[in-house]
Amino acid sequence: MYQALLTRRYLSSKIMPLLAAIAVMLCTAVVLLVWSIMGGFLVMLLDAGKAIVGDVAVSWPTAGFAHYEDLIDRLEEDENVAGATPVVETFGMLGLPDGRLQGVTVQGIDVQSYARVTEYERFLYWKPTDGPTPDDDGVGGDWRADEIGPWPELLADGLALGERDRVTGEFEPALVPGIEVAGFSRRDPESGFYRFGPVGMRTPEGDVRWESGFLPFLELTLNLVPVDRTGRPIEVVTRSYPVANEFRTEVFQIDSSTVFMPLAEAQRLLRLDAAELVRQEATDPFDEAFGQVEVLDESPARVTTVFVRGTGSMTPAELADRCHEIYMEFERERRGQVPPAGATRNEPGSGSIQITTWEQRQGMLIGAVQKEIALVLLILLVISFTASFLILAIFWAMVSEKTRDIGILRSIGATRAGVAWLWLRYGLAIGLIGSILGAALATLIVWNINPIHDWLGRTFAITVWDPKVYYFSRIPNDVEPVKAAIVVAGGLGFCLLGALIPAIRAAFLKPVEALRFE
Amino acid sequence: MSTAAAPSTTESSPAPILEARAVAKTYHLKVGRFKREDVPVLHGVDLGVEPGQWVAILGASGSGKSTLLHLLAGLDRPDSKTEGGVFFESQAVTRFGSRSLDRYRARSVGLVFQFYHLLPELSVVENVLLGAMVRRGRFAYRRAQPEARARATELLESFGLAHRLRHRPSQLSGGERQRVAIARALINDPKVLLADEPTGNLDHDTGQAIIDALAAERERTGRTLVMVTHDPQLASRADRVVHLAEGRIVETSRTEADPS
Repeated sequence: MYQALLTRRYLSSKIMPLLAAIAVMLCTAVVLLVWSIMGGFLVMLLDAGKAIVGDVAVSWPTAGFAHYEDLIDRLEEDENVAGATPVVETFGMLGLPDGRLQGVTVQGIDVQSYARVTEYERFLYWKPTDGPTPDDDGVGGDWRADEIGPWPELLADGLALGERDRVTGEFEPALVPGIEVAGFSRRDPESGFYRFGPVGMRTPEGDVRWESGFLPFLELTLNLVPVDRTGRPIEVVTRSYPVANEFRTEVFQIDSSTVFMPLAEAQRLLRLDAAELVRQEATDPFDEAFGQVEVLDESPARVTTVFVRGTGSMTPAELADRCHEIYMEFERERRGQVPPAGATRNEPGSGSIQITTWEQRQGMLIGAVQKEIALVLLILLVISFTASFLILAIFWAMVSEKTRDIGILRSIGATRAGVAWLWLRYGLAIGLIGSILGAALATLIVWNINPIHDWLGRTFAITVWDPKVYYFSRIPNDVEPVKAAIVVAGGLGFCLLGALIPAIRAAFLKPVEALRFE
Repeated sequence: MSTAAAPSTTESSPAPILEARAVAKTYHLKVGRFKREDVPVLHGVDLGVEPGQWVAILGASGSGKSTLLHLLAGLDRPDSKTEGGVFFESQAVTRFGSRSLDRYRARSVGLVFQFYHLLPELSVVENVLLGAMVRRGRFAYRRAQPEARARATELLESFGLAHRLRHRPSQLSGGERQRVAIARALINDPKVLLADEPTGNLDHDTGQAIIDALAAERERTGRTLVMVTHDPQLASRADRVVHLAEGRIVETSRTEADPS
């Protein structure tokens, strides 16, 4: 009882507990601030990373595998699978209108099924929007809000991955590159919207001609290298394509190096489309049968990957295991026609089909961020220990200052445990006040981090959050209650730790020595 | 509480409520970084205090009178090599464990110090109630809070401090502070009140007033009082005066105030 009374009075009558509470508050605020932003960054990264690859990928890179429609049917029959889509993945060189060549990841997709498995439509950038109306000079606004723009057509083109030829009316395949691939459209740091301007194009004569940098009005040249079944390159194929639209996932790495094209076109260029295996009847040009071929077999179309999206009833790892079971059954019935299933899923070096979760596919990126977060939290933990020692020093000084009080309490019968609890309770109270205030401060800052960051940029030209480094243009601004609770509990724990030694010291002071203390 | 053989009594005097038997105390003082020096303070002191008696321990500075009082109060322990010890109602206080010693200080004895030793953050009434809080513990105190508060108010009123209940010790005079300290010592109605130079920090008149208050309280309750002082005039108010010099009792005298 006396502990509660004295804790209240000590807290309200001295400057030291105020200093200690401020120290705890700042420590708690910093930890929660960094954890929330970095953790939010990871969540955004995971969401975005998952968004274009589905939950699980069944892949047989380069050569691809056949009968994928059958596999997709089998997968989609499973109650845990929401959808599956065939994809051809390869690397290519993209020739940009300004003469630059850029290495890209090319994904040949079947838009309809791909949109069911991923959030393809959401990522298409040039489309009608209800966003802010652009200013007269086009600065600070969103171009897409301009109602007279070509946005509905571009959305339709993006969803079809092709364009109607204005002259012939024929449908021709087109590309959808990431919005950072060409770098012609630049993100306005204030509004966050992409805007395009004139771009200098090199002419064959070596001059520079200034043209609109709006990529959907331009053409791109794609260079791909098809390989045979043994993985040897055949010949480089080069094709020019119009641009149907651009996409933006907000993950800079994806947006700057990925190009979508129609699946059939990718299969055709990479020689993964259906073909007949033939034998020439005669090699002598004077032979009557010369030019006649005998069809030996049909080679079905192939894809390198099938992306699978779950219904949410399973974790990605469980879904991958289920996909492996389905694939094993599929392989049993098509033995020799498709890659082997392997005894276990994704066993490295087993020569069997690779079935991976999206986390495994984005492993390098996610792993790097997870390690960065762990490192930052470790550093903060060390800082928290420093704060704990600060509390210890403050409490040590306070116990010294209150030695006579301890002697008085002991002289009127207070037990050692009672005296120890007084100081622990005092530490707990400081920890509680400091931690809660710190959590509140951090929450306030995190909720307003983007306006604060913009203000820093405007006032001091400081850009802490560079989208090229952190992939996203928006700083995560969510505080998870669980994290806040953990940080508050941590703050309390460190305060208790800091108060523990002084509390034990106070408890074991001899009453007579404490009373004589000067 | 552990017990020991009861100390001997004579037929003419009642059994002592508090007794020191062959009590010795040596301080091991640290001299320099590694060296310790033994400073003997008490040499086999025998003292018996009868129930209801007022005993004054008189002596010069450094004679060991405060040390003796601290041993009687259970604030310190006598040398363990000697066979004697401190006894309260025939129980060997010296052999009490830490918890029993805490209980002894909380219930059986009340302590008054020369420098008042009030907690500056608490008000007058809270300082007095502190003793009740410590003795009863959280839940028992909550139940008995109205009763304890009434007792504290009554004690403070009896010492003329009814108008000072909410004041802080720093707002009181020395005499008032000492009266608050006496009230705190009496809140649990201990059988023995131990006062260490209660007037040592006060002027003559205020000191007299404090002794008057102690005497009046004793008159009212018949409580046993052991008072340490270096003032022979104040000591003469007691029933019995024990003269201490260089850690030994050199003389014990009955005063006129002794009813026996």
